Amino acid sequence: MKTFTNANPKDIREAITLLSRGNASIVGGGSDLLGMVKERLMSPDVLVNLKSIRGLDKVETQSGKMKIGGLITLDALSHDAQIRKNYAVLAEAAESVGTPQIRNAGTLAGNVCQRPWCWYYRNGFPCLKNGGDKCFSASGENQLHAIFGGGPSYIVHPSDTAPALVALDAEFHVSGPSGDRVIPAGQFFQLPRVDAARENVLAPDDVLVAITLPAARPGVRSTYHKVLDREAWTHAVVSVAMVLEMDKQICRSARIVLGGVAPIPWRLPRVEAMLAGQRITPELAAKAGEAAIVGARPLAKNKYKVPLTQNVVKRTLLSLA
Amino acid sequence: MSVTPLKTVGHPTQRIDAVKRVTGTATYTGDIQVPGMLYARVLRSPHAHARIRKIDTSKAQALPGVKAILTRENCDIVWSSGDTRNKRYLFNNPVRFAGDAVAAIAATDRHIAEEAMRQIEVDYEVLPFVLDPEHALKSDAFAIQPGGNLSPNAKGQHEPDIFRHGDIDRGLTTADRVFEDHYTSVHINNAQLEMRVSIAQWDGDKLTVYASTQGISNCRTDIAKDLQMPLEKVRVVCQFMGGGFGNKNQCHDFDLMAAMLSKSAGLPVKLEFTRKEDYVAVHGRWPTKQYYKIGVAKDGTLTGIQLRGYSGMGPYRKGAGGIAGVELYQCPNVETTIYPVYTNMAVSANLRGPAYPQGIFGIESLMDHIAYELKIDPLEFRLKNMTRKYHDELPFTSNGLEDCIRRGADAFEWKKRWHAAGVGAGPVKRGAGMAMGAFGSAVGRSSAVVKLDGSGKYHLHVGVTDVGTAAKTTMGLIAAEELGVPLEKIEVISGDTALCPYSVGESGSRTTTHTGYAVVQAAKDLKRQIAEKGLPQGSEVLTASVNADPAQPKDAARYSFAAHFAEVEVDTETGHVRVIKYVAAHDSGRIINPLTCASQVKGGATMGIGMALHEELLYDRQTGVPLTAGYYGARVMTHRDTPDVEVLFVETEDAYGPFGAKSIGESTIVPSVAAVGNAIFNAIGRRVKDLPITRDKVLGVLA
Repeated sequence: MKTFTNANPKDIREAITLLSRGNASIVGGGSDLLGMVKERLMSPDVLVNLKSIRGLDKVETQSGKMKIGGLITLDALSHDAQIRKNYAVLAEAAESVGTPQIRNAGTLAGNVCQRPWCWYYRNGFPCLKNGGDKCFSASGENQLHAIFGGGPSYIVHPSDTAPALVALDAEFHVSGPSGDRVIPAGQFFQLPRVDAARENVLAPDDVLVAITLPAARPGVRSTYHKVLDREAWTHAVVSVAMVLEMDKQICRSARIVLGGVAPIPWRLPRVEAMLAGQRITPELAAKAGEAAIVGARPLAKNKYKVPLTQNVVKRTLLSLA
Repeated sequence: MSVTPLKTVGHPTQRIDAVKRVTGTATYTGDIQVPGMLYARVLRSPHAHARIRKIDTSKAQALPGVKAILTRENCDIVWSSGDTRNKRYLFNNPVRFAGDAVAAIAATDRHIAEEAMRQIEVDYEVLPFVLDPEHALKSDAFAIQPGGNLSPNAKGQHEPDIFRHGDIDRGLTTADRVFEDHYTSVHINNAQLEMRVSIAQWDGDKLTVYASTQGISNCRTDIAKDLQMPLEKVRVVCQFMGGGFGNKNQCHDFDLMAAMLSKSAGLPVKLEFTRKEDYVAVHGRWPTKQYYKIGVAKDGTLTGIQLRGYSGMGPYRKGAGGIAGVELYQCPNVETTIYPVYTNMAVSANLRGPAYPQGIFGIESLMDHIAYELKIDPLEFRLKNMTRKYHDELPFTSNGLEDCIRRGADAFEWKKRWHAAGVGAGPVKRGAGMAMGAFGSAVGRSSAVVKLDGSGKYHLHVGVTDVGTAAKTTMGLIAAEELGVPLEKIEVISGDTALCPYSVGESGSRTTTHTGYAVVQAAKDLKRQIAEKGLPQGSEVLTASVNADPAQPKDAARYSFAAHFAEVEVDTETGHVRVIKYVAAHDSGRIINPLTCASQVKGGATMGIGMALHEELLYDRQTGVPLTAGYYGARVMTHRDTPDVEVLFVETEDAYGPFGAKSIGESTIVPSVAAVGNAIFNAIGRRVKDLPITRDKVLGVLA
């Protein structure tokens, strides 16, 4: 581990100033960051500790909307009664992350901004994510890699909460040197063809301060279904975040976002359109599953993810019907 | 079958050090701080195979706080137990796997040592590498060691290990049907909780090593041998250790590195590994490729078993490399040909039941398949063909295998759970499978000292380290039984060569049978002394010291046996497999401590399930670099993956060992992998033949 200094800013502006000086990293829960520093995947000079700023972990209701501080722990998020009731997909996604220890330390913003868990990146290969010019998974061990949206990097986005937030149509409150801005969840994440080194639009001196969820509506049902390679402590092989607005048995609108299959949370607009105004039947669910995998481009060793995605979409839909 | 109850032995007993272990007051090697101690790190090859043209340590040497650096240029010590065929130096050139040691650094703190590691400049000439043991034998494969990639046998001949019994050609030509198939297994790591650490401290020409070892005696002997020191100048201490599962036998290169760094720096040195290093730089289980031909008569009687197998040993021959399991079957004609092969993967050697779980996976999968093809209940097929004599010739000193199968089947409700393969309705299918297992349970040389002081307290000195098996407690119970006193009266002194006599080392599931036997003999001797001299008074101490070397069974083989039963749920839409019921029946002779013995079975079955379903040290084929080192990547079992393992003991009477105890530790993993695989077949009617049985493979065979 390279030595670094720890800075405890009193407010977000001070944090941004510290970040602007260069080679600094935000530390929230630190559950992943410290490991990366130890492995020298990151070598910051300064860690800007956001836990020194009060109130960044609050959940509050503002004119019906739910505002969640980025520093809330995944454990607190998954146990929040209102979130469990009105935004089940997010609570379930948070609950599915890592292990109890990780959820006790890890934060919502940290989970959303988590770096990829591609084994080439994490083992320090000189890949696109590590400043190199090659994605080793393309012709290598790509069992866990992207079937949608890949190229030139084929990582999958590692976050469980991110697909849930895109499915909920959340807004991300970002503060940076030039002020505050609000970014729709769907525009926060960025494909590798835009910039293969990064997974989202944040600049190094931006802070994801809070996330707002739209006001709860009656008839909304949501869930997060995650397929793991063992019963705990893996990232999603495939996951589905699904939010349906139901009117009795009829689906008024749907938002479906996949995790584990693409470099960003992968929305399925075609499937969403198919469901609008329809009664969810086993036949429709099967068709939705088929539509979910249209355009999938598996690599040599991840072809299984295609039928897996199809089945998980079908099943998740039926579970909400 | 059952054994006569005893007073102290055979009753569930809490470990004598349980409270210390769970309250954090036990001092493990990593907890030890020696005043003035330096910290050491090891620089490792990033390449699977490379020649070192030049190493420049000058920048590292110049860093304030760096006290010693070892490379091949200033250290040519041979680590003799690291390779039993070729000379393996502490630092090798060429380096032969990604993780092979290049340099070791001692500095005043960990950060400086790590920084120094980065400042060492190494100029590598990258060489061709090979990962697959079968490919490594092809004529165009680059030779990893002199003499080629087929590792020589003990006589130095580059020939495979061949076992023949009867006439295999006859066995296959006279069969009504011959089944041919192949199975593979991968490299997995021992994944013990405690990472590698070694602390070396010199006092003049005397060396003390605080090791994390499964055997203080072996470790000491090896260190003395490799450093060319008289045995009495070396002391090895390990009073609490956090697991090894076979990869902490003997001394290790890092013990020797710590000693040499300490000698060079003139200060004590603590050398520590990271988890990733622990995964790649010590050793794990050898991957195998197994090709079988099995002949059977119409009625299911075996006529011939042929196995050709390849074991990937990594670039150094540290382990035997066998593929075991064929001997579980009674068959007149057997031929096994095993090729232990050098590859550029991490070294492979002992991991709980070294040659067994992967071999049993192969043979027990194919036998299960033959039973399926012949429309015989696989349990009946085993009862018909199971071994009743070792290699068809030698009787066993005791054989509870049939009882394990029958009683295990009853407890598991085999008849209710096992069904025609793949017939379940709906996407989630249940299936039941079973497999047999065996593991050698030899008797042999070990030692013990028992003392009785004037206060009436007994002191038992045994050279065990207690690798997690509760060996200290087991030894105490054996002494208490023989002495006829309560366990509380006995203080167990262990884990220090300065205080304890030779012990065999906690490998080969031998501690209870070897050292336990010595404890019985020492206790008997002490009783004789008490009868002769009376109880000691005041400062008097009676001492019984025994070096036991019991005779091997005459014209008989001594084995522990097991049968495991698993029920799984396979989700055919997601490929997800869950073990939902598990019964493990074991014949380990008399059980000394049913509590800790059952823990062994649960642990072994759990490891086996992980090996069956998800564990792997996966390699990148482009670079020969491992990708999944560590608990996260290698998919080691979590609590949530672990089913409730129901344990039952078939206590056979056996004339050898302490009170007739046979061994337990390693037999526990032996049948588990195959039992899970067979259950998956029963659920879905398709067989995955390559470990681990991951989702992609399950969905693949269903597609």
